This record gives sequence, C-alpha cells and structure tokens, in this order.
Amino acid sequence: MILSIFCLFIFSAQADLAPQEILKKADQARGNTGGVEWEIEIQSTEDGRQQQRLLKVAARDFNSLAEFLEPAKVKGQKILMIDRNMWFLKPGLSKAVPISPRQKLMGGAANGDIASTNYAGDYEVSRFSEDQADGVACYLFDLKAIDKKVTYDRIKYWISKGHLVGIKAEFYTVSGKLFKTAGFKYENSITIDGQAHAFISQMIIIDAVVKEDVTTMIYRKAVVKKIPDSVFNLNLLLR
Amino acid sequence: LKQSQAKPDSDAIKAIWRSIFIMLLLFTGITGLQVVHAVEPYLTSENQIQTDPDNPSLLIDLFKNHFKYELRVLSYGLYQDSACSTQNPDNRFLDLPRYKGNLEIRPDLRLDFDTLLLSVKPRMQLEYRSWQDGARKDESDWSDDWYLNEWLARLKLAENLFISYGRENLQWGPCFLFSPSNPFFQDNGRKNPKQETAGMDFGRLVWIPGQAWTVSFIANMDEGHNKSMKDDFEKTYALKTDYSGRDFYGSLILSHHTGDRNTVGFFGGWTLSDAFLLYGEGAVHKGSDALYPQEGGIPFGASMSKVHQDDSDLRSILLIGGSYTFENSGTLTVEYAYNGSGYNAAEADRYYRLRGKAADAFTAGGGWSALARKTLGESADTGLRFLRKNYIMTQYTRNDIGDKLDVTLRWVRNLDDGSDQFIVMAGYSLGNHIELFANGNLNGGHKDTEFRSILDRQWMLGVEYTF
Repeated sequence: MILSIFCLFIFSAQADLAPQEILKKADQARGNTGGVEWEIEIQSTEDGRQQQRLLKVAARDFNSLAEFLEPAKVKGQKILMIDRNMWFLKPGLSKAVPISPRQKLMGGAANGDIASTNYAGDYEVSRFSEDQADGVACYLFDLKAIDKKVTYDRIKYWISKGHLVGIKAEFYTVSGKLFKTAGFKYENSITIDGQAHAFISQMIIIDAVVKEDVTTMIYRKAVVKKIPDSVFNLNLLLR
Repeated sequence: LKQSQAKPDSDAIKAIWRSIFIMLLLFTGITGLQVVHAVEPYLTSENQIQTDPDNPSLLIDLFKNHFKYELRVLSYGLYQDSACSTQNPDNRFLDLPRYKGNLEIRPDLRLDFDTLLLSVKPRMQLEYRSWQDGARKDESDWSDDWYLNEWLARLKLAENLFISYGRENLQWGPCFLFSPSNPFFQDNGRKNPKQETAGMDFGRLVWIPGQAWTVSFIANMDEGHNKSMKDDFEKTYALKTDYSGRDFYGSLILSHHTGDRNTVGFFGGWTLSDAFLLYGEGAVHKGSDALYPQEGGIPFGASMSKVHQDDSDLRSILLIGGSYTFENSGTLTVEYAYNGSGYNAAEADRYYRLRGKAADAFTAGGGWSALARKTLGESADTGLRFLRKNYIMTQYTRNDIGDKLDVTLRWVRNLDDGSDQFIVMAGYSLGNHIELFANGNLNGGHKDTEFRSILDRQWMLGVEYTF
C-alpha cells in the first residue's frame, strides 16, 4: 500500500548519497522544510483508556507552534518550541510556563514529537548499515544524540533505500533501554520547487513494555509555506 | 484587600458594560451557528473544508477563517479563615467574608487577519458574600460586575514590525513565585490560576530584527481594570530586548516610571537537558517606593513612610530556579528568591511592634482609631511583593493523570521568619467540557509572621464549563 503510493512521486534515491544527506532527505519528509503548517490528530490508548487531541501546528527549522483545537477542554492551549526552549500557554493562565521537551504531550507522544524532525542536525551517525524493515530494503542508522538536549538519547532508524523516507524507528533511554518504537506512513504529498514529494501522514508509537499502549499521530492538511519569525514570538502570542 | 478597596464602577458604566457583554455573547453564538450550518454542506472530504465557490459569503469566510473564541463559565464557592493577627484583629479591619459564591462568564473573542488582530475579553461576575465575624458579622450581600478585562488591536506594519494598543495582562519571565523583571504587574497570576489578573492599558511597538532577537517598546498608559494601585497611577515606559538561542533565552528590560524610578529587569533560562531547566530572573533599581517602619512619632512610637524613596544605593531582587521532569511527566521545581528591598530583622521587629500598637488602638477605638486604621492600611500594603529578604519555593506538578487529573502542590517558606504557605491546585476533568477544580491555601507559622498575617486557610471549590 505504502509502496504503491510512493510510486506516484518522482523520488529516486541516489546510491552515492552520504549518510547525512540521506538523513536530511528523510527529515524533509517528516516536516523539516522551509516552513510547514499542518493539523495533527493524536489518538492514544494507554492503560486501556482512549484519548484524542487535534492540533494545528506551524513549524519551521527548529521552531514550532502547536495550538490545540479539540477537545473543548484543551481548546486554545498552545505549545511554543523555540529551538530547544519550550513554553506552554493556556487560556485563563496569566503567563506562559517554561516546559521541558520530555513532558508528555499525550499517550506515548512527547512534546518534541509534534515539531518537524531534525535527526540530521540533532544526532550523529554512530553506525550505518543495511537491513530490512516491513519487507522493505532499508538503510539502518544508529543515531546518537549530539548533546543531552534532544528528546531521545539514541535512535535506531530505518530509512527506505528506494524512497529515502524513514519507515521505522526504535527509541532508547540513556541507560540503553528500548522504551518505544514507531512506524511511519507517507500518504500525503507536498510540493517543493514544483516537485511532489512524499510527506508524512501517520506516525504510530508503540510502548516497548506495554505493547497495548499505542499512540497514533495523523498528519493532515500539510501546506508548505513561508512562516515568518513573528509566529514563533512569545511577545506576540495571545493566551 | 486591594480589590476590596477598589472604587466600584458607577451604575451607568456598569450598564454599558453589561450591554456590550450580552451583545458580544449573542453575536458569538449567532455567528458561530451560522458558520457551522453554512459550512456543513460543503465538506468535500474528511480533511478539507471549502465554502461554495459559486456563493462566497464574506461572513462565512470571516468567521470560519478568522474568528476564534473560547468561552468558559465558572461557578465556585470559597471558604476562608482570617488569621488572628495584629494586621486584622478579630477580622474587624479587613472584614473578610467567611464564604463567597461566584458565577463568572469569560468569553475570549478574536478576529485574526494577516495584518490586523482584534481581541476582546469581556467579563461578567456575580458574587455572593457572607460574613461570620468581624464588623459585618452575620451580614451577606450580592454584587455584580461587568467589565472588559482585556482587549487588543494590533496592526502588522511590516513582516517584522507590529504596533498595538489595548488592555493586556502583560506577563513574562520563567519564575513561578513572582516576576520581578516585570515593572508593570506585581501579581504574575500563578498563585491561583482560576482567578484572573486584571489587565492594564498598554501601547506596544514590537520589532523582530531577526529570528533570535526581538525589541519591544512598551508604554503603560493607564491602570485599566487593575484598580489595585497603592498610589495614584503613573505611566511607566519600558524597552525590552529578547534573545532566543538554541537552548538559552534571555531578556533585558529597562523601564522608567514617571515617578522618576528607573529599573533594570532581566530574566533568562537554559534547557540543560531534555528534562532539566535552569532559569533566573531579577531587577535592580535605586531606592524603593515601598513603605518602611520608621522609629518615632506619636502615639505608636513608629510610622510607615517611604524612607528609601530618594536613596542612591542599588537594591536588587534575584530569583533562581530549576525544574526537573521525571519519566512520568511530573515536574519538580525549586526556586530561591532574594528580595533586597525586603525588611531586615530590625525593620521587621519595628514593623510588627507598630502593627501591634495600631491594632490595639484600632480595637480600643477612641481618638487614635483613625490613625490606627491608616497605619494598618499601610502595613497591609507596603508596596513590597514579599515582606522579607529570603524565600524558597518547591513545587510538584503533574498533569493529565489518567487523562483526567491535574495536580500542583506548592510550598513557599519565608526563611527569615519561618512562616510557610502551602498551596494545592487540582483539576479533574469530567468529559471534554467540564472540569471540577479545587484550590487550597494553608498558611503556617507564628502569629505575627508574613504568611499568618491575613489568612490561615482558604479553600476554593468549583466547576468550569468550556464551550
């Protein structure tokens, strides 16, 4: 299914690309463009409980602004991420609260998961090999965080050789323990410089210990556009 | 105390606000319904909403694409025990009601175009109060208040230049305890998030020269709805420069008060790791506009006055704090505050001695009672956010426990007089619209200490409905 959708796009992998270039291509398909606006629906099952959130996200480079649209109890709440600095704003709350990237957004999703992905900038490649994931020939990246400021310390990341998009990831704690895995789908498309590119449509996060705890992030209405600095400015944000 | 001293709006002004409030509420409801019904037939797919291209409606476009609102209705009851202190002997000075019941309607309305943003936050408050002690023992009353707590008109002059005027609750800085870098507001609204901080009128010019830098010129032109000023309102101007780097942010705020007080404020924060934040905030100024107890004077042997108003020595307020987020998403925060303008031990002794004598004279009545009342008014509102010099705050917050429960536990200790304040804030979701909430405030310490001066305990229990 995913592969057939990939065929719609002109997207040929180049065998001579350096690992860092491959990572950059995969980052682009997960939002790291000059600027993107999208809606993210998060569905989570945790301890048998189901939750749902709808967010509107504007992201550019390392900055993002997420506004909760639904349900009513969280409507108007905002998370502003200016590089590694994060703030939480809530209607009725007098001022923005500084928060850490580790704070959970919902279910298995951390705040860092709603921003565009920048693995090429945040991680160094400690191992690079080839492997299969879901029957797809992949490059397998073993990524180590450049510093301690990122959400995950170590990531094993499978990038499709044919389409240069990440299709599977394993996230590890500092102690080396696997704590969640993720799968990615690319049924959206965006146009960059007149060319259609596969773009993330779904990220499914599964807890490594309790396999029934699943969080699905569905990406919709992706629009690549120039997002001005003022969108990410705390002085101009209304509560 | 400050709010109880606020001058009530005249009936005419209240009637005008009441009319505006009702009109805005009706307008929101009607236009919201119209948009929903008009747009529904044109849902082209699960993910795309389009208006009929053959019948474009300006109103639908306006309210579907540019209008946003949040509407919250709060109803809560409040129980409080006044402290048995020299500040409020037998609750006869402050006359704090034992019980309060409130109904509040809080719509937040916004029209957001690319170049123009209009926002308004009208408020309706209905309040019942009942006294069980003090001068108004066994009395009760009802009151209503209709007002604009905040509004804003902001124009984008260029992609990186914005000008605005409006009534805002303009807050900044990372600290929970208080925000000394803010020259406009003493209350940062974090003690009880269910009680709104009153907005003041500001003109602002915001220039964003680059991704990392922002420069704002801010003019506080009027007290707005914030009638809590101890002295007559005087304009304050500030130049705020913000920097935001990869894992650091910082701000410098230079402000000038027309009462001839200049202040340098600053704050900064570091994201040290995925879980650990470190931050600081402070202010430096010459002298102090606060009231200090001064020896001498009849009949109390001391009086409150602005003795340091013209001092040339620098006084500083400094807060440093850090927070750590655990794997379960709970966050532990610790802050230490040094309040350089606060009373030292000798000044505190003099203060409590003066307050005690004023309380005796107030209770006894007679010729000195008017002076005693004035003195107690001054001792209740010295102009200092905190009375003494050294404080520590510890807080634990965990939200969305089982997708239902938010809890914050906060403990503040005055390290100089040993008094404590314990605050608990909790919210429990019943579905997507209703939240039950509780806020508790328990004060501990000796009889005449800072946190035992006004209230022993206060409990607030209520329900909030969000549309």
